[in-house]
Amino acid sequence: MLAGLERPSGGSVRVGEQDFAALDEDGLAVARRGRIGIVLQAFHLLPTMTALENVAVPLELAGVAKAFERARDELAAVGLGDRAGHYPAQLSGGEQQRVAIARAMASEPMLLFADEPTGNLDTATGAAIMDMLFARRAASGVTLFVITHDPALAARCARVIELADGRVVADRRAG
Amino acid sequence: MSAVWRLALRDLRRGGRGLLLLALCLLLGTAALAGIGSLSASVLAALDAQGRAMLGGDLGLNVSQRRASVEESAAFAAAGRVAETVTMQAMASAPGRAPVLVQLRGVDCNWPLVGALRLAPGALAARPHGDEVAVAPLVAERLGVRVGDRIRLGEARLRLIGLIASEPDRIGGGFSLGAPVLVDMAGLDATQLVQPGSLYESHYRIVLGRRDQAAATGARLVRQFKGAGWSSRTSAEAAGGLKRGIAQLGQFLLLVGLAALAIAGVGVGSGVSAYLAGKTRTIAMLKVLGAQSRAIAAIFLLQLALVAVSGVGAGLAIGALVPWIVAAVAGSALPVAPRLALYPLPLATAAALGLLVALLVALPALARAREVPAASLLRDALAPRWLPGVPTLAGMVLLLGGLIALAVFTASDPLLALGFVGAVFALVVVLWLIGAGIRAGLARLPRPRAPLVRLALANLHRPGAQTDRLVVALGLGFSLFVALAVIDTSLSAELADAAPAKAPRFFAIDLQPQDAGRFRGVVMHAAPDARIEALPSLRGSIVALNGMRVSDLKTLPANAWAVRGERTLTWAATLPPRNVVTAGSWWPADYRGPPLVSLEDRAAAALGLRVGDTITVSVLGVEVPARIAALRRVDWGGLGLNFAVVFSPGYIEEAPHSLLASVYAPAASDGVVAARVANALPSVTLIRVGDLIGQIATIIGQLATAVRAAAAMTIAAGIAVLVGAVVAAERTRRYDAVILKLLGGTSRQVLAAQAIEYLQLSLVLAGVALAVGGGAGWFVVVRVFELGWAPDWGVVALTLGAAVVVTLGIGVVGSLPALRVRPAVALREL
Repeated sequence: MLAGLERPSGGSVRVGEQDFAALDEDGLAVARRGRIGIVLQAFHLLPTMTALENVAVPLELAGVAKAFERARDELAAVGLGDRAGHYPAQLSGGEQQRVAIARAMASEPMLLFADEPTGNLDTATGAAIMDMLFARRAASGVTLFVITHDPALAARCARVIELADGRVVADRRAG
Repeated sequence: MSAVWRLALRDLRRGGRGLLLLALCLLLGTAALAGIGSLSASVLAALDAQGRAMLGGDLGLNVSQRRASVEESAAFAAAGRVAETVTMQAMASAPGRAPVLVQLRGVDCNWPLVGALRLAPGALAARPHGDEVAVAPLVAERLGVRVGDRIRLGEARLRLIGLIASEPDRIGGGFSLGAPVLVDMAGLDATQLVQPGSLYESHYRIVLGRRDQAAATGARLVRQFKGAGWSSRTSAEAAGGLKRGIAQLGQFLLLVGLAALAIAGVGVGSGVSAYLAGKTRTIAMLKVLGAQSRAIAAIFLLQLALVAVSGVGAGLAIGALVPWIVAAVAGSALPVAPRLALYPLPLATAAALGLLVALLVALPALARAREVPAASLLRDALAPRWLPGVPTLAGMVLLLGGLIALAVFTASDPLLALGFVGAVFALVVVLWLIGAGIRAGLARLPRPRAPLVRLALANLHRPGAQTDRLVVALGLGFSLFVALAVIDTSLSAELADAAPAKAPRFFAIDLQPQDAGRFRGVVMHAAPDARIEALPSLRGSIVALNGMRVSDLKTLPANAWAVRGERTLTWAATLPPRNVVTAGSWWPADYRGPPLVSLEDRAAAALGLRVGDTITVSVLGVEVPARIAALRRVDWGGLGLNFAVVFSPGYIEEAPHSLLASVYAPAASDGVVAARVANALPSVTLIRVGDLIGQIATIIGQLATAVRAAAAMTIAAGIAVLVGAVVAAERTRRYDAVILKLLGGTSRQVLAAQAIEYLQLSLVLAGVALAVGGGAGWFVVVRVFELGWAPDWGVVALTLGAAVVVTLGIGVVGSLPALRVRPAVALREL
């Protein structure tokens, strides 16, 4: 709901100055532009586009002039500058998730949602991905939301909200 | 380039393979329409371009059973250069061979005014003079004669000086029995075949100083000799009847092409739905990244448009080449060589129809795609039942209206096209209902105990099964073929079996009244059991209906053949055999009052004539008004002597005439009857009914081939849909195969399950084709042609067998890749 993928059946969801509950599917799409980045467990790269093109898509949709230059910078920032011309099927799982992170960060969002970002990766690659996510957060100042079942990963966050059966059961802030 | 364009192209570059079915179906549909349209346009253009050569001048004037008078000849000569030809049917014979029916033409020394006569190499002279003759190669072959030999025509024995290679203005003469034979006027006189009352026609071709004056000059000359039986044609009208025939055939084939396009539409719909269903995640991700529904619709509309335009473009390219292909492969079957060129109008029509169909069937899928929620990335829910909204429905109705309007208004017979489009639409709906009924019915059947059969049955009705689409797509094509098989074999049976049993063996024409007794004697001597029916015959044309000149009528009804050109007339004291009076009453046998006439009932109905009305018939230039006393139903199927117009005896008997006779005799006596009549009465022309039937059967065969070629496109489109369905179900099949193997099934068992599924589908299709195609065929044979219902069920069974084999074959072959999947690999991917 915070990412604008679902609408609440009641109440309100305010992100910045906007009430997401009042927006329709298209309104939510526009509201996400430039504000919200999303990284998903299954990567969900567009299979028909190269890594570079995947990263450029949100910028192009937002009408950004130098979409490809910025996309190239974002790919370089996740260490994939030399894989720009590869299609998703030609990349490893870890590489695909790094492209997804670059795509989510390309439009310099205020909020970055990572939904089980390591769920489809082995432990070592998952750890590397998380390191990168936190590093990118630190560099850009974006607010990072991590959705995870992994307590160790949750422990790295500044605030942990625990949900059980759709209800908040705990809300802790680090040190 | 906008982001939408870039994204559309980028996605298409790697992900466009799913649209192959769309492109292929549109290619087939538009190729059928463009090909048929281009071919008929090219033949019509050839007829137009060759009008002058076909007519043999700028203006042609014809009259029956007489030559032009001195005054008439002088008037023609004043208009321009004139050539005279006389044509008639005649018998040619040579010692030791059966006489041959020929189309004899006598030409004067001015002929030909346009074009040139060419004789095959080895000819003794450039053209025949005096007692010389040139014949078509077929005549020489049948008579067993060579250049230099003599052949007999009427009373003359003429020396063959060459074989005709090409002869100008023959085709413009229309349908004729018998191969061409050419003599000059002296040769014609020597045959003594031209007698008062014999059936010949005189043609006067005129080359004018100004070609644009042809119509006016023709009208002036006909007016000047009003009532003298003249008819005129300009070079522009040279092939009027042929053009009408070609245009009608082209129109009919175009309708078959429209059926192919309708099937292609089903395939396009399947292709687009499957493609966009496969793009659900891409669409959802694009929405996550900020794309609005409008942008989603625009991206995929652009992709579809690009692929549709390529498919249509390729179809147009193939269609445009059809005249070249047909000219190369089957040029001799065409009445004229097609004028090879690009014809923009049929191509544009085919393109517009193809694109409209694509848009129509893509619209609901596009509307559905734009509503894919971003949240569908988060879960794999079954797509909810979706119905198009009001704007989508309105758009579809608008497109359908445009499609029907375009199909109807570009047709030469809009009413026929409207009826056909309506029938195809109704058929598609009926087939769809049958398909949906099969799915629903199978789902409610008790589950079979055998697991393979149970699985196969479930595949036909489970969610996402394409049974209903396949029933429509393949059902329409197979039904068309069954209907063709039924119609074709019924017609052939009527011609080959039923007709000869009650039909005469021979027709004799140009029998002079004074020779009637001798003719009867010769025939009865050759075949003692023979029965002869003879009626007087003369040529005449209906020139006025209730005092209104036919030439003054602005439009003639489509089936007003009775007033087009000349008809063979007769008179009779009593009702002819096989005729039944349907209105009015037949005149007393001894009637001698003012002329009465009896018309065939359907011809009268077409002209809006009733008992008591008056028609005026021009016989050898004399106009005879006659009151309609009776209307008759005529059994044309029996091929006996039948006349649309029968006069009461009396006044009409004064006109010079000959007798038309039919000879009923055992088939075994054919040869001896023909030989003895040719010997004793060389001026009498004998037409073997078997040859006539053979010629008609050949024409029907050619038409059936043309229709089958067009119908093949519907099958091709149907097969494309089947292949598309097999491809679309590939993931499900792989899953089934893997799970079955996991549970201990062998490849053979998996294949058997899939074979059973397609066997069931093909049996269903065969049943549908038999019911729908057989029903349509019955309607055409029994109700439209009013013929006996005698289809060859063997041919129908072969057609249905082909339907089963094609469906089963493609289904099973398409399932093979799923069998090769290794379970361990597949389970990770699926």
